[in-house]
Amino acid sequence: MPPMVPNVAGQTTDSRPSSLRDPFTKAFRWMLLARTLDDKLASLYRAGKIHGGVFLGRGHEALAAAVGLALRPGDVYAPLIRDLAGRLAFGEPVLDVVRTFMGSALGPMRGRDGNVHRGRPRESLLPMISHLGAMISVVNGVLFARRMRNLSGFVGTTTIGDGGTSTGAFHEALNQAAVEKLPLVLIVANNLYAYSTPTARQFVCRDLADKAIGYGVASHELDGTDLAACLEVVGRAVSRARDGHGPQMVVARLLRLCGHGEHDDASYVDPRLRQSPVGQDCLKLAEQSLLDCGWAEVRQIESWREEAAQEIEAAVAQVQREPTPDPFAEDWRALSSRHLADVYPEP
Amino acid sequence: MPSIPIIMPQLGESIAEATIISFLVQVGDEVAVDQDLIEVETNKATMNVTSPCRGKIARFSVELNESYPVGAVLGNVEATPEDAARAGFDTAVLARQPGGASSGANGQSATPERKTVQPTIRGLPVPAHAAGASFMSPRLKARMAELGLHAADLAGIAGSGAGGRVTIQDFEHFIASIEKHKQSPASSMRIAVADAMRRSWTRPIATVGLPMCLDALFAHRRASNPKAGPALYALRALAMALAENSAPAGRLIGKKIVHPSSIDLGFAVEAEDGVFVPVIRQADQKSLKDLLPRYNELIELCHQRKLPVEAAGGSIGIVTNYGTFGLMWATPIPLPEQTLVLGVGAARKAPAWDEAKGQFVPVMEANFTLSFDHRFLDGGAAGRLLTRIAALLNRPEVL
Amino acid sequence: MSITYLEAIREAQARALADDPRVFIYGQDVGAFGGAFKATKNLMKEYPGRVLDATLSEDAMVGLAVGAAIEGMRPIVEMQFADFSTVGLNQIVNQAATLFWRTQVPCPIVVRLPSGGTSGGGPFHSQSLESVYAYWPGLVVLTPATVEDAYSMLLEAIALDDPVIFCEHKLLYYHLKAERLPTEALPIGKARIARQGRDLTIVAYSAMVHEALAAAEELAPEGSQIEVVDLRSVRPLDTDTVVASVARTGRLLCVGEAWPWGGVTAEVIARVASEGFGLFDAPPQRLNAKDTPIPFHPHLWAAHRPTARSIAAAARKLLRQ
Repeated sequence: MPPMVPNVAGQTTDSRPSSLRDPFTKAFRWMLLARTLDDKLASLYRAGKIHGGVFLGRGHEALAAAVGLALRPGDVYAPLIRDLAGRLAFGEPVLDVVRTFMGSALGPMRGRDGNVHRGRPRESLLPMISHLGAMISVVNGVLFARRMRNLSGFVGTTTIGDGGTSTGAFHEALNQAAVEKLPLVLIVANNLYAYSTPTARQFVCRDLADKAIGYGVASHELDGTDLAACLEVVGRAVSRARDGHGPQMVVARLLRLCGHGEHDDASYVDPRLRQSPVGQDCLKLAEQSLLDCGWAEVRQIESWREEAAQEIEAAVAQVQREPTPDPFAEDWRALSSRHLADVYPEP
Repeated sequence: MPSIPIIMPQLGESIAEATIISFLVQVGDEVAVDQDLIEVETNKATMNVTSPCRGKIARFSVELNESYPVGAVLGNVEATPEDAARAGFDTAVLARQPGGASSGANGQSATPERKTVQPTIRGLPVPAHAAGASFMSPRLKARMAELGLHAADLAGIAGSGAGGRVTIQDFEHFIASIEKHKQSPASSMRIAVADAMRRSWTRPIATVGLPMCLDALFAHRRASNPKAGPALYALRALAMALAENSAPAGRLIGKKIVHPSSIDLGFAVEAEDGVFVPVIRQADQKSLKDLLPRYNELIELCHQRKLPVEAAGGSIGIVTNYGTFGLMWATPIPLPEQTLVLGVGAARKAPAWDEAKGQFVPVMEANFTLSFDHRFLDGGAAGRLLTRIAALLNRPEVL
Repeated sequence: MSITYLEAIREAQARALADDPRVFIYGQDVGAFGGAFKATKNLMKEYPGRVLDATLSEDAMVGLAVGAAIEGMRPIVEMQFADFSTVGLNQIVNQAATLFWRTQVPCPIVVRLPSGGTSGGGPFHSQSLESVYAYWPGLVVLTPATVEDAYSMLLEAIALDDPVIFCEHKLLYYHLKAERLPTEALPIGKARIARQGRDLTIVAYSAMVHEALAAAEELAPEGSQIEVVDLRSVRPLDTDTVVASVARTGRLLCVGEAWPWGGVTAEVIARVASEGFGLFDAPPQRLNAKDTPIPFHPHLWAAHRPTARSIAAAARKLLRQ
């Protein structure tokens, strides 16, 4: 946290550069939308309106929004579980989110996959599969192919959690990105728990950032609760990658402020962590910074909050009236080559 | 006022139920949408069930420390139509359903039925072999079905397969070889009789026989006008014998004996290409003289091939007079649904020993044979029935 | 001139690289070295930047291929041995196989698996995994048995918009030769009658087709005419051709080099039993490898998999039933 400088009247103000105002405010609004939407999804879940699991990004908004804002058209993004703020900043419509969770047939996955497993590959937003680490090499592939087609100036980014860094897929893919010198920005969101497993049971090196040395890639460490820091560090990592300096590993430290999923009450989280600086809510901190820096007023923030709530209410109301997938209208074919589909007659 | 149900939510992928830990509000309290109402515990975590919409708690329908499944109705919130609509509830649907609308979840009862696993197979599985003379492969069965053949039709084929079974090649050679012979179509009567005999023959059939003196019968007949044939005399005698004891005409189906309900007896009438079997109902109730008109009527109908369906079938035994062909002895086959058939041979002059005179005297004699399903009747019972018939035929005035 | 099965695979790849700029080859040692079996020999030189050495990471190799396919490329991934593909199983079956069904974006990758046993190969250089991959919906699984099919089916696989698992048989690489490359071919999804017969149908694929043909030769002087069906592709499976053959012969023997449980032979029998039950004049039979890992020693290996001799014995038994 930058030092608080008391002004003449004795009030503290945040002494952040004014060039930060615009991105900070934009990021805050994405964070606010993401948090409001997450809260809505949680209550829909408890009302029994969502099938399957609900996984939220509470606590991750600053990091994710910074990633989404740093990306440009032409970049490729494979978000993971808690990146809603990043997805929204990258351009994913709120309707896509609500439709996928609520099982509307009109969602991007058409009911074939759900909750956070959503995306639009043709628009460079890759839908994740459950196997953690698996998306990294897919992003590598997109970058690899673009380079083969002589494109330049693009980056690819994906998120992985502290738990995901234990997988073989993570290792293989990061190594591959390094060897191929791809413009990959790997966002490691170390939120201190993989479901119920604390990081002490996940790795024993000093910090996940130290792994970068082993792969020969650059690393950046970051306080994930601090939006300004997120914007700066993520922005720098993305620029470095875009300028051809090879893979960049960003390791952000924060605390997951929700259960692993909404079925989980996270009672295993050490309460001392919640009281400590890493347990602070990045959204509240960012709101306070806006006020302290004089970049927004209470009423303005309230109206943003209202706008977000209304946008989400309208989406939910619309989606609730939409049809669910019809198994009898499905062609139940997994191959795109029609003539090669095996026919299994119904007995 | 719409009543919105509070539903136990899906609390985790593999969670099926949760236990009520505490009520955070009371009946009658005003609550906001998404407000925490009930604290529940699963084996993974403790969490809160929230209000589906703004309104007043109308009731709780669950007990503390009891478990309820996902989707169960835990209580109801009474709301204004506007608040209900804002929360996405269709009030028209709500009004129709007893517990209130089940939004998203399905309306399940509070206590799940515990189903026990029912085994689907009892007893030992039957091993499938291809060996064994009687094995017919699926292909063979399909071809036989196509040609309308039965196992009985294959009796003429020596199989070359394992255990002497008939292979499809054996079968096709057989069919091809038949093609070389002159063929003509079998009538439907022929096919029907063939099928009846095939089915009847699946039982063990035995025959007992008795030569009977018909002098009394012929004397009675000479003195009668109109005259009945020997077959009707035999039928009437059989009817009276069965009226005294109908047991021999019962049937064995599995472990049960099915008793005859009415002494309906049929008799064989030869037609062009087979046999008709008209039936005289309740032949024990009328005398020989009274049976004769109906008997003659039935024969005439057979000759005209106009025997109505009600006049055939449903008999418990039949009489066949093979003597009309000049045959001394025959072993008729009972109809497939019957236990016995009484056959009458040709009458001829034969010597009979007269004890009183101490010498052979000429009498009119005919063999009566009784074929029967030996699963049900034994020789003794069959013999007693024949003896009784003989005794009745010796006193034709009682018929 | 004669061309081997392996050379046909190389020719097909060369032609694909020449005809379509979206094609590239990615695998371990495929570049300057030309691949462990020389399937890509000289291709790096002829097509610089298109034949690339990958890190030793089957998972990352396939993941990268999927990403490239999303971008519109048509990657060919060479696994060094089918046996190692299981390290990348997740990316094949959960990433590549599900992409189209989940997103309507097709995944035109080809994963080449050098498959099947060779003498001395041992448990981890001999596996036949076609039925493992056939299990997941969304994959096409090919098992060419001839030089001609190795060529034409690989070209067709590269042109398909779906992920293809191309099971090449290592024993056939150098042992099988043909006069020339084909100019026309049966399409993927059609089985081939490799030998006509009337008394019994043997359904086989890949190297076992040749064993089955030898068995048929052995039985011909005994008066038995054996029909041999080469499946060519395992997924999709040409049930119609197999059923039509059993309609002619009435007896079915399925032969596979893979393990008995489930598998291609079980699948064929299940289909013919349910769609053509009335065609059987004897119970359908299958012959597979022994139900153990594949042995190293040549004596054990020779007894582990079906051979012309064991196929002929099984056929004789079935003919006598």
